[in-house]
Amino acid sequence: MGGVGFAMGVLGGLLLAHAAYTTIQYRGMLKIVEEEFSGPPMNVVVELLIAMTLCMVAGLTVPGKFLSILPDSDDNRVVSLPANLDFMIFNHRGRVLPSDADLKLKK
Amino acid sequence: MVGAAEEAQLNRLENQVDNGGGGAWEYLCLVRKLKARRPDKVLKHGLSILNNPKARSNLGTEEWTLYEQVAIAAMDCQRVDIAKDCISVLSNKFPGSTRVGRLEGMLLEANGAWADAETTYRRLLEENPNDQVVQKRMIAMAKALGNISTAVEYLNKYLEIYMADQDAWRELAEIYVSLQMYKQAAYCYEELILCQPTVPLHHLAYAEVLYTMGGLENLQMAKKYYASAINFTGGKNTRALYGLCLCSVAINQITKGRNKEDKESPELQYLAAEALVKDYKEKAPAKLTLVTSTLKSMKLIS
Repeated sequence: MGGVGFAMGVLGGLLLAHAAYTTIQYRGMLKIVEEEFSGPPMNVVVELLIAMTLCMVAGLTVPGKFLSILPDSDDNRVVSLPANLDFMIFNHRGRVLPSDADLKLKK
Repeated sequence: MVGAAEEAQLNRLENQVDNGGGGAWEYLCLVRKLKARRPDKVLKHGLSILNNPKARSNLGTEEWTLYEQVAIAAMDCQRVDIAKDCISVLSNKFPGSTRVGRLEGMLLEANGAWADAETTYRRLLEENPNDQVVQKRMIAMAKALGNISTAVEYLNKYLEIYMADQDAWRELAEIYVSLQMYKQAAYCYEELILCQPTVPLHHLAYAEVLYTMGGLENLQMAKKYYASAINFTGGKNTRALYGLCLCSVAINQITKGRNKEDKESPELQYLAAEALVKDYKEKAPAKLTLVTSTLKSMKLIS
């Protein structure tokens, strides 16, 4: 999806540049026929709209996935609090549980 | 905070690591990030990395973090010998470090040498009076010795200075609950809800304290907080659903025979009971009959 989105973004950018170029040419032509510039021609407007759509799609897909903002979604739903490690104490019932005697830090 | 997705990832990694599937370092990182307390697993898999010179050197500077993590896990498993070895490696690398000094104090604690541990902590506090972790260790030590009233006193003093420390508020709330001082515990949970208004577990704990205190007003409040816990979890917290059912039954008992205006609409409790039945049908069909008969006796389902 990222690759396709990126290609669409590039295409949108190119279209945008082409629209700018066409407008400049159109204005140059208007100067020759000595008419007032009232707005860009129809094909440029359509080109701009398409370019905008393409750029928008690229902007939404390329950077990454959307994160959920719902409090009860799986990403946000808090199921347990972290163990309060700053206040941990060591004389608990784990003392009587056997630990693997082979564990040893080798030097 | 441990989200549902993160918890699933932790369990998956733990399974994978336990069955020799690799990914021990990722697992240890996740345990550290989520502040989970899994000392036996951390000890086993952490040592397997530390005893493998190649894997250890791959970690770069993270190696020392792992030594610290394994040392604490070893103390939690009462393997003082391993903890001692880890800490001596660290103190050779970082002589005079406060962080290693804290570990040495904890080692003395694990050994049961409380007086020596206290001297160590007092020395660290003299060097840096604002060291929060050392102050918390002093509180924990008072708790470990069984001096709960001293621990409460220290915690209150500590919280006067560091009011934004949520862990400390939680600890104090839990101590108060264990002492059955529910009014004080409720205050602590209010602070926690103020700090983190979207954590359902604080709402749940507060509701439970209120429900335990009893009385019509407290029960009605408890019901509201149970409802907000359900809201934040999307109804996936069974404890909150049960709490809501029990609250409404208790409220109905108190308001029985009073005029209709005092009574609340019964829809919420029926919905909660329905959600419970549905949950059990999906996840634990064997217990379904038990739940339905209990709910029936409370007249929440027909």
